[in-house]
Amino acid sequence: MNPIESLRIAWRSIKGHKLRSTLTTLGVIIGIAAVITFVTLGAGLQEGIIGDISPDDQRNVYVWSAPPENANQGPLSGAQPVFTQQDAAAISNLSGVEDAYVYSPVPAQGVTYAGQTLPRQDGIIATGPGYLDESDLRDGRQFQRGAREVVVNPAMASLFDSNVTLGSNLTITVVGGQQVTATVVGITTDSESYSPFEGFGASPRLYLPADPYYERIAQGATERARYISLVAEAPTKNADDIERVKSVTNEYLSSDRSDASGPAEQGGLTFFLKTSTELLGQLESVLSLLQNFIVGIAAISLLVGAIGIANIMLVSVTERTREIGIMKAVGAQRRDVLGLFIVEAVILGLLGAILGTLLGLGAGYAGAQFIGIPWVFPSTYAAIAIVVGILVGVLAGLYPAWNASRTDPIDALRYE
Amino acid sequence: MSGSSNSEAAVTLEDVRKTYQVGEPVHALDGVSLEIPRGSYTAVMGPSGSGKSTLMNLIGCLDTPTEGSVVVNDQDVTTIGDRKRTKIRGEEIGFVFQTFNLMPRLNARENVALPMVFRGVDRTERREHAADVLDSVGLGDRLGHLPNELSGGQRQRVAIARALVNDPAILLADEPTGNLDTDTGAQIMGLFEDLYNRGNTILMVTHERDIAEHAERIIHLLDGEIEEIEELSGVGV
Repeated sequence: MNPIESLRIAWRSIKGHKLRSTLTTLGVIIGIAAVITFVTLGAGLQEGIIGDISPDDQRNVYVWSAPPENANQGPLSGAQPVFTQQDAAAISNLSGVEDAYVYSPVPAQGVTYAGQTLPRQDGIIATGPGYLDESDLRDGRQFQRGAREVVVNPAMASLFDSNVTLGSNLTITVVGGQQVTATVVGITTDSESYSPFEGFGASPRLYLPADPYYERIAQGATERARYISLVAEAPTKNADDIERVKSVTNEYLSSDRSDASGPAEQGGLTFFLKTSTELLGQLESVLSLLQNFIVGIAAISLLVGAIGIANIMLVSVTERTREIGIMKAVGAQRRDVLGLFIVEAVILGLLGAILGTLLGLGAGYAGAQFIGIPWVFPSTYAAIAIVVGILVGVLAGLYPAWNASRTDPIDALRYE
Repeated sequence: MSGSSNSEAAVTLEDVRKTYQVGEPVHALDGVSLEIPRGSYTAVMGPSGSGKSTLMNLIGCLDTPTEGSVVVNDQDVTTIGDRKRTKIRGEEIGFVFQTFNLMPRLNARENVALPMVFRGVDRTERREHAADVLDSVGLGDRLGHLPNELSGGQRQRVAIARALVNDPAILLADEPTGNLDTDTGAQIMGLFEDLYNRGNTILMVTHERDIAEHAERIIHLLDGEIEEIEELSGVGV
């Protein structure tokens, strides 16, 4: 029997039971839609985070010092303040290193502007001018070393009742109650994070020159200020250049010449040198774990869907016993009947997969728009969904179809 | 009808026995030998349990005998496998049932074309041929109607057209007027007579004497054996 004829006849019996067919495919639709939605969102999230790393950041090596057992945790996990400004200056003079600067969150209590004080414990970052580039700024310029200047991001700027603009004066209260003032000289393009040290995602932040703020105030003038981390920039994002920066930086930090080597050795700390791509890898593994979990749940939903199809096919075979008898009486072979019912189940599975994929793409798109992450078309998963739909149909249809093909025409024709 | 044949008989049964094991063995057919000539019109009568249905099932290649042989259009269907028997059933046998047995979701033309689907005839040819055969049974204007849009007599005509469509060696009719009123039944008997006159071989099971009398001869079955073969003088009395 011609496969097109099987399709035609099977399609007709599906159309003959519209409501039943719809309900049957619902299990598959939901399963597939769930996978596609979450895969789309996961991919979008990943894409969004990767998009956060500007090409400029891709040549950065992020350096911190922590106990060796913190190796597989996120950036700055267990990090101790061991680096000094002298270390940063020395590293920036090493051959192969374009620039190097310190990075440390300032322990703060609040920020005051125009008489309004808002409590802010984090998001206040002391670093070097190299941390932000021209392209990162929407208005104004980067702060200068040694000046009482600050760069804010738009989220921070709009935090107060009256908007912070260029030239505004902010008062920052650091831990211990001491207050310092700074003039806003720049506003960043967006409120996303500008390095993995800041964490991922948008939040209000302000960027201060490490000298004078961290150097003289936060740490107190008595002791030499120690920073929690360093950023060393390679001239290009070329892997060889980055490797070179890593090796010379590590070599310097481990030697007696560096200020960091002493406390690091004392505390039994290891230096970690990572690129943003490497740091992202850790995050991706968390994301993919989450994704696998959702795919697992969806697989259960698909199993339920398959059982639904098998169940309805069994009912359908019983209902159509007489039709099977008629077909056999007029010359239908066993394999013709087998084919008809399998094709019917496959159509149901495939239909569920196609509708589920469309629904999932739509829901994923809506979700991505809502959360504000880029929408990524999950082409591989869409293809897998279609194949899974067909497989579900074949598996669910196999037993009912086999049952149908074995129907004795004499009994079937007598069946009421 | 079938030009390739060389024997005079459309169907030959030789000492056919069919035994069912239902606790004690039941002999549904107990040594039946029979020859149905080509172009003949035969009726089978008998009380229920006499073996009429078993006889129809054996000739219709739906079942195999316990002993003896059944030859349809010079092909012994006793020893062959299920696949070949199904093929012969599709090509050499035309069934007409008491309850019509049409596919409910297929229209008249598609019902008639169905046997050709399983023979692998292409769609255009199927559609044309089905329309022709429907026309020949007087339903040329009902091609697109579903069975539930047709009267009982029209449904039986569709069923007859379906039985004829593969140009079978024999038409097997099982109480073809059983579900029809007298007038419609008479029309269907008229159609069978037509078909007989056009050279078709017909075997019809019935329990009504006046229906059976349309045939050339009546085979009387009793307890799985042929009790009597009654030759009738004229057809269509």
